Amino acid sequence: MRVAIAGKGGTGKTTISGTLARVLARRGRHVLAVDADTTPNLAVTLGIPQIQAQEMMDLPRNMMERQQQEDGTTKTVFTANSDEIISNYSAPGPDGVRLLVMGKVNHGGAG
Amino acid sequence: MVTKDDGDRDIIVDMEAGLEHLSRGTGKHLSRFVATIEPYYRSMEVARRVAALAAELGIGDVIAVSNKVRDDGDRKAIADFCAAHSLKLAGEIPFDSALLEAERAGKTPIDFDPNSPAVRAIERLADTLSASAT
Repeated sequence: MRVAIAGKGGTGKTTISGTLARVLARRGRHVLAVDADTTPNLAVTLGIPQIQAQEMMDLPRNMMERQQQEDGTTKTVFTANSDEIISNYSAPGPDGVRLLVMGKVNHGGAG
Repeated sequence: MVTKDDGDRDIIVDMEAGLEHLSRGTGKHLSRFVATIEPYYRSMEVARRVAALAAELGIGDVIAVSNKVRDDGDRKAIADFCAAHSLKLAGEIPFDSALLEAERAGKTPIDFDPNSPAVRAIERLADTLSASAT
């Protein structure tokens, strides 16, 4: 599944994201948790110590490029494959969850 | 977000509090949005806007999940709002003091008490999402 958790601040997005990731990982799924918040704090909810989270590298912008689609829109895609991205830029967490932090990267699609 | 080989991997994205990311297109290539919704107006209104924006981005698959639900009054407020705005309510997470205790203990909810009501509810949400993964 590829799921985004959205909603008003304080409604439990991070708690739900982090716990959902851990639940799926405990079921044997390969789980990538992505923190897309500009003030990232998913690490703590996943059970990754703050100190370790602070040492994590943000995803560099040149890892992504915009591609023109047939319908005229653009989309942002990673130029590296996900295994490469995950091994280089994600942090390991409990139950085998991997965490990727995107919050400080100025990325986006068309617009 | 798209990568070349996501087939056997679950990706869970914790979005920004506001709708800034959505309007910039971050969520464009996620297959499904889960809008968290609490039983008070501003939260419900944000969930409605998340659903509307996701639809504009071509993501038709938006579900709402209620959180911190304390009683039937909360349940009804959310059910009424979702019905009025054609939001599909796919799960309910109860208010759970274990989450506050976990935070005070410096533990994650699942490490603090895997059987707490909220964690169990998130397990049911995982069932729902897995059963209808797109």
